[in-house]
Amino acid sequence: MIRVVDFRKAIIAGIAGAAAMEVVLRGFVLAGLPVFDLVEELGAVVLHHPRLIGWAAGLAAHAFVGIMWALFYAYFFWSRLKLPPPLQGLVFAVIPALLALFIVHPQLTLMQMNQDVVRVSASMLLGTIGVREVSGILISHAVYGLALGSFYTRPVGYKAGDKPGMAQRKLLPKRRRTQLRQSRGFMFATGIECSYPTVDNGRWRRDEMESCGHYKRWAEDFELAREIGVTHLRYGPPLHLVFQGPGQYDWSLIDEPMADLQECGPEPIVDLCHFGVPDWLGNFQNQGIADAFSEYAAAFAERYPWVRFYTPINEMYVCARKSALDGEWNEQRCDDGAFVNAVFNLALASIGMTDSILQRRKDAIFVNSESSEFSQPCCPDPEVESIAAFENERRFLPLDLIYAHDVSERMRAYLREHHIPDETFDRFRKRKVPRRSVLGVDYYEWTEHLIDREGCPRSLGELFGWYTIAMQYYDRYKITMMHTETNQTDASEGSRWLWRQWHNIQLARSNGVPLVGFTWYSLTDQIDWNIGLTEALGVVFPVGLFDLNRDPREVGLSYKHLIDMYRDQPDYRECKPLKELMQ
Amino acid sequence: MMRSFLSAHGYTPGPTQRQFTAGATSGLLATAPAIAILVAFGSLRVESSILHLSIWATLGAGWMAMAIAGAIYARLFGRAANHVHGGWIFGMGFGFALWAAGAAMVLPLISGGQAPAGDAAIGVALSMLVWGTTLGTLVPFVHEPLHEKLATASQSSLLGPNAATQKGENLPKGRM
Repeated sequence: MIRVVDFRKAIIAGIAGAAAMEVVLRGFVLAGLPVFDLVEELGAVVLHHPRLIGWAAGLAAHAFVGIMWALFYAYFFWSRLKLPPPLQGLVFAVIPALLALFIVHPQLTLMQMNQDVVRVSASMLLGTIGVREVSGILISHAVYGLALGSFYTRPVGYKAGDKPGMAQRKLLPKRRRTQLRQSRGFMFATGIECSYPTVDNGRWRRDEMESCGHYKRWAEDFELAREIGVTHLRYGPPLHLVFQGPGQYDWSLIDEPMADLQECGPEPIVDLCHFGVPDWLGNFQNQGIADAFSEYAAAFAERYPWVRFYTPINEMYVCARKSALDGEWNEQRCDDGAFVNAVFNLALASIGMTDSILQRRKDAIFVNSESSEFSQPCCPDPEVESIAAFENERRFLPLDLIYAHDVSERMRAYLREHHIPDETFDRFRKRKVPRRSVLGVDYYEWTEHLIDREGCPRSLGELFGWYTIAMQYYDRYKITMMHTETNQTDASEGSRWLWRQWHNIQLARSNGVPLVGFTWYSLTDQIDWNIGLTEALGVVFPVGLFDLNRDPREVGLSYKHLIDMYRDQPDYRECKPLKELMQ
Repeated sequence: MMRSFLSAHGYTPGPTQRQFTAGATSGLLATAPAIAILVAFGSLRVESSILHLSIWATLGAGWMAMAIAGAIYARLFGRAANHVHGGWIFGMGFGFALWAAGAAMVLPLISGGQAPAGDAAIGVALSMLVWGTTLGTLVPFVHEPLHEKLATASQSSLLGPNAATQKGENLPKGRM
């Protein structure tokens, strides 16, 4: 798949463009200007009938052509230029205009001749068209382009509050579904990308499961995960669609997929909140999300009592940062006070959800995944070093809260400055962290930063690597760990990246770090993550084990190779740290 | 722009894909309805007379050319050609491009300036659009059973642990 296209919008845009073009052309004709009347010519070719019927046939044929061009625009041109949508359409219209001039017009002339074969020459084909006709074609196509560009916007996501189409494919017959043995060994995992933040100040919902086609192809997706051989699947049911209000849940959306996972695997690590909240809860500034999420977690655990692994809230630091500090998602705030508020709300929610689940399933295991971040000062500048040191502490803040870890005096001062008194922080310090907690550390090529001379972060790529950065987290919390996300944006480098991450895992294990799993994220390609989901463009981010046609990528084959090679090795078949957690 | 899109790193076919075979097979199959249109509009007779070939020779040459064009289409569009919902429009675009190039340039060039006109010209245009649309529609379905299975494709040593190294780089002799 090249990109996600909204066919309905493209068809409407194509018809609108053709209609606008016809209005202009008819205006020219009525004004007595000599124009190349494309509609009339098409009508003459289609029906050989003059006047009204011919015109109607031409109009229909032209609308069809307009739709085809609109679909072509949607696949190949939309969002390629950094211009407002109407201007993108205008630039695009140069292509059909030139083809109309040099190909379609001459060929339509030939098609209307009363002979089978003619001897053609440039003067014969183009000689009938003058400057005014050329102007007419260019102006009418410009109108088409402007209308097309104006109508075709935001091909992915939907208006906040709406529901996406959820038509589901039938399950594969049972005999064709792979029956997965329940693994008690090292967790070889992947995930279904499931982010659902809002953008455009809460008006537009990004929904990766919808964009990637998972709602319609979930049965196929689970089967592909089983074919690869993964034992666990990070899976985030859409909170914003299921949790419809206090005490109101629409489980029908996920009952079937959950039943399939229960029956055939892979074992899900259920991700209860992934970067977004239901519309009725507003955003992460809402103090009420902790209670609401606790209620949701309790209801979920009662509905699916067989689920053992949970991620209460995914990447709390990234969620708070992008929502309240970088101004990109949900509340789209850009201030430290909002960030601190979001962090505390998220941490409180995570703790509340954990406690709710533990009341219903005492042996639940909590995989608290967080993006690993590291900031390196560029130079011996005290201000730059201070920024890097602060960022290297702030990255831990959400985990410090849920793991009852103390913070430096500098961080306490930062919290006080943003209306978090010491007593509030100390209440988190008194928390008894559940024994079955796993620290998930995600790693991408953009998670290491260089703080430049201006104090701005720049991507360092893979400089120190997962092992070095993850050890900073391990040294702080000393709990069982898992590599919970990684991928590579250049699909041709996917296999290389996968094995390099795996060698990091092996090094950590050989150094005695209790590691229980590894995750390639995600099963399929994603949409618009190259721009952090901030705009609804529909561009494919080719990081999946499978592309969005569900054809395997090279990294998918490599991951299968890796799993086949390691899963029956004694150290991996029996994963000691995981067994200890389960006791 | 379209070329840069199609040549992007994410669209190159992977080791399980059989793009040329799928494209050539689909190109061959798609030629059947196109020929029916050519016959219906009298275009086949006109083309064979322009090319100074018999009907059968024209058909044979056309079928071969369309198989090659199908293979080129599948390789050019890469993974995108496997897209069930979009394939038909890519194929139609490709068919249109072939018609535009063939009817406007190639045919007059190789026939000393002669080109079909009237209904024959309509038939040529329509047949190429139908061929392209059919090709694009067929490729995902023809390709699907041709894919190499995960279990065998994943066994390649190129996909194993050595993939972690710098590509093509070995340590100089005597090191380690």
